[in-house]
Amino acid sequence: MARGTKEKKKNALLSGLREIGTTFKEGDIKTRLSYFIFGLGPILRGQILIGVTLLLCEVLFIVYMAAFGWGYLSKITTLGTTLTHKVGRKTVYGDNSFLILLFGVLSVFAVMALIAVWYLNVKENRKEELLLKEGKTLPTNKAVFMSLFDENFHKTLLAIPVTGIFVFTVLPIAFMILVAFTNYDKNHQSPSNLFTWVGLDNFKNILSFGTQGMGSTFVRVLAWTLVWAFLATFVDYFLGLGVAMLINKKGIKFKKLWRTILVLTIAVPQFVSLLYIMRLFAPDGLINGYLIKWGLIKSYIPFWADPMLARITILVVNIWIGIPYMMLITTGILMNIPEDLYESARIDGASGWQMFRRITLPYMMFVTGPYLLTQFTGNLNNFNVIYLLTQGRPQSMSLKGNAGNTDLLVTWLYKMTVNETNYKMAAVIGIMVFIVTAVVMLSVYNRLPSVRDEEGFQ
Amino acid sequence: MKKRLVSVLMAATVLATLFTGCGGKKSDFGSGEVKVWVADNVVDFTNNQINEFKKAHPEFDGYTFNVEATGEGDAAGNMITDVKAGADIYVFAQDQIARLVSAGALEEVEPENAKKVKAENDAGAVAAATVGEKLYAYPITSDNGYFLYYDKSVVKDPSTLEGIIADCEAAGKNFYFEANSGWYQTAFFFGAGAQLSYETDDAGNFTKCNASYASPEGVVALKEIIEVTSSKAFKNGSAISNATDVGAIVDGTWDAEAVKEVFGDNYACSKLPSFEGADGKTYQMSGFGGFKLLGVKPQEDENKLAVCDALAEFLSSEEVQLARYEAVNWGPSNLKAQQSDVVKADVALSALADQLQYTIPQGQYPGEYWDLAKSLGDSVIAGEISAASSDDDLNKALSDFQTTCESYAK
Amino acid sequence: MKKKRAIENAVTYAVLIIISIIWLFPFVGLVLQSFRSYATEYGGMVNYLVPKSFSLDNYKFLFSGETNYVRWYANTLIIAFFVALFQTIIILCVSYALSRMRFTGRTFLMKFWLILGMFPGFLTMICLYFLLKQFGLTQEGAVPGLILVSIASSGMQYYVCKGFFDTIPKALDEAARIDGASRARIFVSMILPIIKPIIIYTALVAFMAPWCDYVFASYVAFGHDPSYNVAVAMTRWVWTNDYQGYFTRFCAGGVLISVPVTLLFMFLQKYYVEGVTGGAVKG
Repeated sequence: MARGTKEKKKNALLSGLREIGTTFKEGDIKTRLSYFIFGLGPILRGQILIGVTLLLCEVLFIVYMAAFGWGYLSKITTLGTTLTHKVGRKTVYGDNSFLILLFGVLSVFAVMALIAVWYLNVKENRKEELLLKEGKTLPTNKAVFMSLFDENFHKTLLAIPVTGIFVFTVLPIAFMILVAFTNYDKNHQSPSNLFTWVGLDNFKNILSFGTQGMGSTFVRVLAWTLVWAFLATFVDYFLGLGVAMLINKKGIKFKKLWRTILVLTIAVPQFVSLLYIMRLFAPDGLINGYLIKWGLIKSYIPFWADPMLARITILVVNIWIGIPYMMLITTGILMNIPEDLYESARIDGASGWQMFRRITLPYMMFVTGPYLLTQFTGNLNNFNVIYLLTQGRPQSMSLKGNAGNTDLLVTWLYKMTVNETNYKMAAVIGIMVFIVTAVVMLSVYNRLPSVRDEEGFQ
Repeated sequence: MKKRLVSVLMAATVLATLFTGCGGKKSDFGSGEVKVWVADNVVDFTNNQINEFKKAHPEFDGYTFNVEATGEGDAAGNMITDVKAGADIYVFAQDQIARLVSAGALEEVEPENAKKVKAENDAGAVAAATVGEKLYAYPITSDNGYFLYYDKSVVKDPSTLEGIIADCEAAGKNFYFEANSGWYQTAFFFGAGAQLSYETDDAGNFTKCNASYASPEGVVALKEIIEVTSSKAFKNGSAISNATDVGAIVDGTWDAEAVKEVFGDNYACSKLPSFEGADGKTYQMSGFGGFKLLGVKPQEDENKLAVCDALAEFLSSEEVQLARYEAVNWGPSNLKAQQSDVVKADVALSALADQLQYTIPQGQYPGEYWDLAKSLGDSVIAGEISAASSDDDLNKALSDFQTTCESYAK
Repeated sequence: MKKKRAIENAVTYAVLIIISIIWLFPFVGLVLQSFRSYATEYGGMVNYLVPKSFSLDNYKFLFSGETNYVRWYANTLIIAFFVALFQTIIILCVSYALSRMRFTGRTFLMKFWLILGMFPGFLTMICLYFLLKQFGLTQEGAVPGLILVSIASSGMQYYVCKGFFDTIPKALDEAARIDGASRARIFVSMILPIIKPIIIYTALVAFMAPWCDYVFASYVAFGHDPSYNVAVAMTRWVWTNDYQGYFTRFCAGGVLISVPVTLLFMFLQKYYVEGVTGGAVKG
């Protein structure tokens, strides 16, 4: 199967190349000229709209490269060599490694885009020629334009989203992946200093377990990240399910009221509620204050200062955040469980607990499996809860790189970017987060009951 | 296809923005905008002073001055993120200076001004503004140190730490000390006689570390920190506004007004107390004496640089330092201003002055040091290192600490 | 049997009441502390809940012009409004294209976006900052900059919305196409009216997010106080020692932010519930 697709792809590539060849061989002069001047063929054949668009792409590319892109692209192998220096007391900035890398990457994308446009251009010529040869007429410009609202409507719909994602997601991610292979940190900061390629040094650093390497810190932060994501997902899930069942119990009144109270936590912006809760658990916060006042404890409980306690407190606060979502979701699904399943179980004399284990739970797990998975990966990157509550603290002598005991990989990444300007290691950690997420996704997704057996409960 | 078109268009726009630059020139000094970053509470004060400055210097007509609120804590980080978008003149705490110099965010002080700054400010402040052999900033305060504020009705004798804590415990009040801060911790370490300092070259790189934390003195200090933090009166912190039921707090002059309000008639200040070490000897608590500095960013235009130099010189001058003291209570670094009657009459500044003889002027420390020290403090507060730890454990913790400190210098 | 049921219900009520107290406690505390004047009752978070005397000092402070609070509020509102508007449009476009149309590259696009989504967002922070800077959309221009960034990548959040589109029978489209309606016409005049709940859900979620955006907003707007949003400006009051006695002001500011957002949310709660449950069931 896998080999089949590979083969297919290879064939597609070959036939694509062959088509470029035959188009040139069998094409008329208009087509052949189009190989160099994009869209010339369509323009001459009256397809102004398509032709001009193609030509515009080429012109823009040339202008971009000549005036801007090439200057950066040509330096991408060294990331700049001219140092910043002084003339008198004036500062003359040298090469900016950051911009060289950023626009170098953009230029590479531009070249790839040009090749793709060129290929489309060739195909368009071929299509038109074949149509004319068969004696058919080409669609009018108006028809071509109108097709953007009908059979080509997806191009209109997706043009802006795809461009936006390209510029603000794809380009930055490509850039940051490359940063992981440079020495871009506080000692090599643009624009005053240059940075350059260092190969795999940063990856070696994060995977080395000596006294200098970050290996052991990375493993510890990763372990807590996984434990956190697991507990935050499943504890909240079951408690949320429990609360939902309580509220939906027959004979319980004011269902809407209970739900509304819980839902408040979703409505109030988290930076307000979490910062308040952070202070609530502080040594001189309300909770410690009251406990001391009532004589329950002698000295304050270090909710945020003790590593273990801090982790537990975060998990508890996260329950406060998480239950309402889970309650909402599970309520909807609980109502969908066919009542007759319970009826027949009751006739068989099943207890409440047995019904929960045999009917409710399997049904819920089946339906919400994929959701739990996304929830899990979301928790792997749950920045707000951790950062607003502890900023990853408390720190510890045994953790390197400014990491704290409650840091997730993402909060660690954030602190490295903002506090340490250690961009190279931040990039490496970012790639690690990606790998972890991808591995979890891939290994779990195919084992989900609802994916494996789509008919199961229907 | 459309998406590619748009991406190329976007790139063209990028290009266009690169070519539009500065406008025309007006007077000899040209025109432009000077961006100034100061802490929120001195924005108004700084604006007023800049108006004075503009009156005195009509030749800088072409320039507009924008004062924006960016505290000393954030200024350095923001400058380093993007030097070009950062302020032209900004206030920062001196522990950031090496980082700023190595990131190219500080211009050397103009030679004429440098002579003046060196002659008029206290030696510690000048040293703090110097990296390698070069002066990189204009000192504006010499009050970034800490001492003891206490409630007279709670603490009877502020001269010994044991007494203060006992009094607080007895009264059910809290003793605030920020044990997980590299800045406050040194009160114990330096007090016990341990050392930690760095040497830098002109570019702000750390070349050498002189440390003796892994020593009997270091152990004395660490044991004392452990003892203090284990008291039920102890609360970790140094911000009066976040404190509750304060009996005593180790804090700086910037909180003087707030503390006065909290303690009311029982307001009192003192130098830091002494403590009895685990070895039975008595040690006076030490710490850092620190400074706020004013920096000028490297400029691509010499005229603008001249304007910035002049403004920085003005904002750090004797008159402005005195006016700043009167407006927001910041203790001056200018020697003449320090000798003025108003400053000398200030209780908090006098306590700080008493403490100053025991402190060490804060030199340059790598950014990682502060994180490392926070880790050490957190470990103590969390009880990972506690009274139950053996001397070997303490020695190991301290020698790890010292080795890591040394690894920051290359 | 009846007695047992009654006991069970009583226990359930007790549990629900305890839960309600726990869930409401922080909000009650927040509101109460916002009425405590720092001038008469010192302390960050004091060890009593009800202030000794009620005062409106903190609220007065917010509108006194001493800070840019009103400006921050307006910034956040503007960001939230435009993000909600454009993000909804973009998500609807993407969902329609991916749900109703079949074209080459469709599955590739979906898979590619799924993979992109596995990279942590903060990774690209510095890069986005400098990209925006090229367009002059940082510091002074941070508000439009933040809007641009939020909507630019919103196409990737199509899952829930597409799930809804998928439930609308394709036969509807086919019938209309036979009658000669174009895709665009079907989208605008047939599909949009029947998916009102999901439109409201999408807009609501998009509207709520900017109120919490601390991370990126602080990075883009740094050093320029008038373009901060509420989250960036007000976390300083809690985290930075420069701000003495601001905790109760933070509470007051927090209350003023929470009230309208919460009311809006409660008002549209029905749609929100529909959206999340729909999204969860479809994965």
